[in-house]
Amino acid sequence: MSIIYVDNNATTAIAPEVVEVMQPYFTHNYFNPSSMYQAAQEAAEAIQHAREKVAHCLGHVEPDQILFTGSATEANNSALFGVAQANPKRNHVITSAVEHPSVLEVCQEMERRGHEVTYLPVSHQGEIDLDAYVKTLRPDTLLVTVMMANNETGNLFPIDQLAEIAKATDPGILVHTDATQAIGKVEVNLEGNLKQVDLLSFSGHKLHAPKGVGALFVRRGARWRPYMFGGHQERGRRAGTENVPYIVGLAKACELATQTVDEEQTRVKAMRDRLEAELLEKIPMLEVNGQGAERLPNTLNLAVHGIEGESILYELSANGICASSGSACTSGSLDPSHVLKAMAVPFTAIHGSVRFSLSRYNTDADVDHIVAVFPEIVANLRRLSPFWDNAKSCLTNV
Amino acid sequence: MPWEYSDKVLELFKSAVSSGGGTHMGEVENADGVGEHGSIVCGDALKFTFRVDQHPTDPLQDKIVEAKYLTFGCTSAIAASEALCIVLEQMAKTPIEALKITNQDLVDFLGGLPEQKIHCSVMGAEALHAAVADWAEKRRVDLSPFVRPEEFEEIDEGRVVCKCFSITEPYLRRKIPELGLKSIQDITNALKAGGACTGCHHCPGGLQDLLDDIWGMEPHEHSEPVETKEELSPFQLGRLIETTVDALIRPALKRDGGDIALIDIKGFNVYCRLEGACATCSGAQQTLKLGVEGTLKDEVDERIRVIAVGGGS
Repeated sequence: MSIIYVDNNATTAIAPEVVEVMQPYFTHNYFNPSSMYQAAQEAAEAIQHAREKVAHCLGHVEPDQILFTGSATEANNSALFGVAQANPKRNHVITSAVEHPSVLEVCQEMERRGHEVTYLPVSHQGEIDLDAYVKTLRPDTLLVTVMMANNETGNLFPIDQLAEIAKATDPGILVHTDATQAIGKVEVNLEGNLKQVDLLSFSGHKLHAPKGVGALFVRRGARWRPYMFGGHQERGRRAGTENVPYIVGLAKACELATQTVDEEQTRVKAMRDRLEAELLEKIPMLEVNGQGAERLPNTLNLAVHGIEGESILYELSANGICASSGSACTSGSLDPSHVLKAMAVPFTAIHGSVRFSLSRYNTDADVDHIVAVFPEIVANLRRLSPFWDNAKSCLTNV
Repeated sequence: MPWEYSDKVLELFKSAVSSGGGTHMGEVENADGVGEHGSIVCGDALKFTFRVDQHPTDPLQDKIVEAKYLTFGCTSAIAASEALCIVLEQMAKTPIEALKITNQDLVDFLGGLPEQKIHCSVMGAEALHAAVADWAEKRRVDLSPFVRPEEFEEIDEGRVVCKCFSITEPYLRRKIPELGLKSIQDITNALKAGGACTGCHHCPGGLQDLLDDIWGMEPHEHSEPVETKEELSPFQLGRLIETTVDALIRPALKRDGGDIALIDIKGFNVYCRLEGACATCSGAQQTLKLGVEGTLKDEVDERIRVIAVGGGS
């Protein structure tokens, strides 16, 4: 049975073009880019070219503002701790309640180290309230860090407005955004919609490059200190021998992403919209998490009342469909999705949440197949569920 | 990481290292001018010597006939030293003329230098100027008509703030008040510091920090007392803003089918949003800045700034 991969917010297939450009740096040019001989200089040049490509894709910024990391998680750690280190006189951090753990748990660690953190709440649709945000800004606010797009629901956040308000209030406030889910799907332009943003992180493996490489943008002049020490690489801002093939791959993936961002907005969005509409039509008691809010074009997060997410995934998998869930049983920690909790999705529906996240490699046939099997899976599981009748009566009574 | 050098830099470097004919490496015996710059601690140092044909009566007409260098340093430091000697032969006949040679002349001759390597050319120019000063002392020439006095001051030792031009914190701390430099642009114009990679502008311990430290935080806003009259309390200020909005601003907006929401007031920052017809109006930004902010500045306090929250963008 062939696989239908619709879990692209977790990771993506590596583009064949990316594999191709990486290959020579495994088999032939394996040199340390810091070495002085000619062949090593070619490796160093490959990194420089990669940096220029990535800088180009982020809105024609100056390349020396890009540093390569091992992951978006590292980039986020580096951004937050680095900013805290460089601004000891400021103590207050503003973030959202729905960040990825690589920001959220860094914020929690910062609290243990003496910082104060405000976690902005979100509405039931997953939106941030700008008025509430304004009220949290303080004279000692150090950093505003809010993701561009949420990995679970696809909710898009108005980073441009958050940054503009922060900078108008106090140019000393730094603004960071985790753009991991946004790159390649929506506009990410550090000289355009994000021109007020100081730091931005993302990883390769969400945009058809391999796992194990990410990047951090640090705008020139931003008050930030390095996080990794032990070498002069990346001009002393990220020590460690450069991962040449992966960096080359990341750059190629960025280049492809700029060519396909329109396709995400049109063809991928059309597939997502059709999947959403047809499932809503065929399955009763089904809700879209984040409906009505601005969302990524590829993401569909469903609350399936009355049943549990893991069993849904199991059944989907048996039908060759790879998706994910915010259910506790799938999280590895028995803790249901903090994102859906923050959106006040009912507890039972969080456990029954399913996320389909598409990519440009999906086809209409994939959508057809999901639409063909998913309603039956839900119906079968609901027949087994002790909560189904209960849930149905609760909902119909509202 | 290997640097990207121009062909000229590599050519001069190779010819110097291979001791091919025509290099100026070495030391002039019984030199008339000796100048040194840099130190082994900094990673590069240059000793520059020259000999002149002494004019029998007027030292100002001494002619430079030989120039040599000894350099401890990288590819571009060595190339810049060669360049110094060649440029000197091409441009200057007398030591006084040599003073006109700047590090930029050397950079141009070299076909450019990587920005982190600009200091190599600065080192060449500094050593040249030191050698001319040495010659002037030996020949009892008063250089003051030919140079600005600060050019011969020692560059203070200490933590390097601007790495591109090797400019130290003690030097900046002396120069910033002395020359009345108030902004990073002022510093760059006067001292070159911060003029290349810009990395020292806002980094911790960088130029902005030095400015803040020397002039106090946010000198533009607090350096001159704005008001002598008694300050309003936050409560009074907030109430005055609210009543002004209600009396003068809201009625005008309502006439056009719009409205305004006051969201928060922090210090003199007034956060608000245009609503109704005004929210979607293409002139919303103008209305807020000119209309609302202007009115509040006139009626309440000059320092008020209006910040738009949502809508409009």
